Amino acid sequence: MSRAMKSLQLRHLDAGSCNGCEQELTALTSRYYDLQQYGIDLVASPRHADALVVTGPVTDTMKKPLEKVWQAVPESKWLVALGDCAAGCGVFQEAYASHGGVAKPDLVIAGCPPRPQDILDKLNQFRLGQG
Amino acid sequence: MMGTELNKRWILTNSQQRDNGSQLLALTAFQDERIVAHWLLPDGQCRENAIAVTAGAFPSLTPVLPQVSWDEREIHDLFGYIPNGHPDLRPLVRTPRWPDAFYPLRSKFEQPIPWLDVEPDNGDQRVTGEGVTIMKVGPTHAGVIESGHFVFSIMGENILHLDLHLFQNHRGVEGHLEGRRLAEVAPLVSRICGADTVSHQVNWASAVEKLAGHTIDQPLAWRRVALLESERILSHLNDLAQIPAGVGFHVAHQQALAMKEKWQRGMHSLFGHRLLFDTVGPGTAAFFDPDALGRLIHDVRRDWQSWRALVLGHHGFQDRMLGVGIVRQADAARLGAQGVVARASGLSFDARSVMPLYQEWKVKPAGEVSGDVAARFKVRLEEVETSWRLLQDVIFEVAKMPLPSFWQPPEDLAGDAVAYTESPHGLNAHVVSLKNGQVVRYHVRSGTFRNWPLLTKAVTGNAVGDFPLINKSFELCYSCSDR
Ligand code: SF4
Repeated sequence: MSRAMKSLQLRHLDAGSCNGCEQELTALTSRYYDLQQYGIDLVASPRHADALVVTGPVTDTMKKPLEKVWQAVPESKWLVALGDCAAGCGVFQEAYASHGGVAKPDLVIAGCPPRPQDILDKLNQFRLGQG
Repeated sequence: MMGTELNKRWILTNSQQRDNGSQLLALTAFQDERIVAHWLLPDGQCRENAIAVTAGAFPSLTPVLPQVSWDEREIHDLFGYIPNGHPDLRPLVRTPRWPDAFYPLRSKFEQPIPWLDVEPDNGDQRVTGEGVTIMKVGPTHAGVIESGHFVFSIMGENILHLDLHLFQNHRGVEGHLEGRRLAEVAPLVSRICGADTVSHQVNWASAVEKLAGHTIDQPLAWRRVALLESERILSHLNDLAQIPAGVGFHVAHQQALAMKEKWQRGMHSLFGHRLLFDTVGPGTAAFFDPDALGRLIHDVRRDWQSWRALVLGHHGFQDRMLGVGIVRQADAARLGAQGVVARASGLSFDARSVMPLYQEWKVKPAGEVSGDVAARFKVRLEEVETSWRLLQDVIFEVAKMPLPSFWQPPEDLAGDAVAYTESPHGLNAHVVSLKNGQVVRYHVRSGTFRNWPLLTKAVTGNAVGDFPLINKSFELCYSCSDR
C-alpha cells in the first residue's frame, strides 16, 4: 500500500525513555508546531492508530506490553523509532535490562532527543510517502 | 561488639539522625556486602553509617524509618541481600521474567540474560469486599507519558487504595555505569532523566571534584547555579502546564506550553541543548552570554506575568485544586517527602539552603501547609519567581567576572563520595565509588523515588476522576526512579 496519506494517527509508547523524547513529542501539540494542522495527531488507543511511536531502548519489562500494543494496531501499520534510544543507537542500549531499541522500524527519527521541528518534518514526509 | 549490638546500633543511629532533622541522602548497597546510609545534617555536613551484610542479610530500617521501604526492596531485588524484619518484601524492580539467581548489581552475569518467557506482572495488593471494583491502568497510557502500572481499588467513585507497580523503565543504569572510565560517565548521567538532567550532571561533577580535592572557582560555580535555575524554570513551567490540563483548563495549559517552548529555544541558543543535556561535567560548565540570558528572562517573564494573573484570577480553576489530593504533614515527614511535595505540606526543607554552590544566595524555601493540589501549584509559582530573581543576580555577577578556569580530573582517580543537589523534583543524591579512574559503584537516589509512595496517600479517599489532576500536581518522573 502506498504510504501517501491525508492523515497520520499516532499512538505513543514509552519503552524506557528518559522522558526527553516525550517532552519534545508533547511540544508538537503546542501552538508553535500545532501538529494537527498537518493531519497528524496523537490518539489514545492503538486501535485508532496508523503508526506506533516508540521511545526508549525497550526495557525488558516493557517488551511484552510493546508487543501487545503493536498487535492491537490495525493493518496497515507502521513502527516509528523516536530518538536514539528507540533507534538502537542510544547511550543505554547495552544496559542489562535494555533490549537495544525496536526491531525494524519503518521510520527512524534520530536525535537525543530529536528537536520538535525535526520530528514534525520527518512525520510529515513520512505521511506524504517521502520518508 | 556482637552482631545484635551492631544491629541495634544501626537502627538507633539512623533513627536518631532522622529525629535531629537530618535528611537521608541515600541508602546504598555495595558488592562487598556493606550497606551505607548517607545523611545530610541540618548544617550541611554529610554523615555516613555503615553495616555489614552478614549471611546475606542486614537489619531492616523500615519499621523505624518507613521512608526506606522502597530502598530496601530495591536492594533485595538487585543484590539479593535480605533486609531482616522488612514488613513488605514484595518485588519492586524485579519481575517474574528475571532468572532465579539473577542479581544484576551483586556479581557479573552472562550476557545476554536468559529472560523467562512469561508476563512481567507482579502480584498486586487490592482491597476485597462487596462493592469494591478493581481498576487497572497502564503500563502503557493513552497520552504521551512514561510507562507505569497502577492498580486502583475503588468503591463507587472513591479510591480506597492505590497499588503502584513502577520500574517499567528500569534500563539498568547503575549497572551500566559500572566499569566506565571517567570520561564516559557524563553523557550517561546526563540521560538518567530528561527533567532533572542538570541536577544529575552537577552531582557527578561535584563527586569527582570532591574526590580530587579540587575546588571550582566562582565564575564556574555561578554558571552552574545559572544552569540549575534554568532547569528549575524549564521543569516547573512544564509541570505548571500539566496541572491546568488535568482539569480541562486548556487556555492555561497551552499558554504554559508556549512559555516552555520559548524558554527551551532560549536554552538551545544559550547553552546548546533544549533540555540542557551535556552542559556540566567535572571541572566544566557550558559557557553562555549573560546578556542574552537577561533578554530571554525579560521576554518570557512578560508572558509569565499575564499567565500568572490568568491562573490566579480563575476562580473555577482555583476551586478545583482546593482540598484535592492532600498529603498530610505527618505522612510527608514519615515517608521522607521531597521537593515541592514536602514544601507544600509544611516541611520547609530546600537543599539549596545548605548547598555550598548556593552559599552566596541564601535561598529561602517556599512554604505552604495545606498539602493539596493548590499548595503544590502555589509552591511552584513561588519557586519560579525565586529562580527569576536568582538568575538575574547571577547574570549581574557573571557579567563582571573573568572567564572560569576549566579543569580535568586525574585519570586514576579513586575513592568514595556522595554529592547532592536540589533538583526541580527534590533532593537528588549520587553515591559514587571509583577505583583507578573507573566506576565500581554508582547509586542514584532522586527526589521522585521518595515521593511516589506519597502519591498513594494523596489519592486515597479522593474521586478516581481526580487522579490525573493529583498525579500531575506531583509530576513525578518515572525514569529518575526506575533508572
Ligand atoms: S534518545 Fe535521548 S532523549 Fe530520547 S529517551 Fe533516549 S536518552 Fe532520552
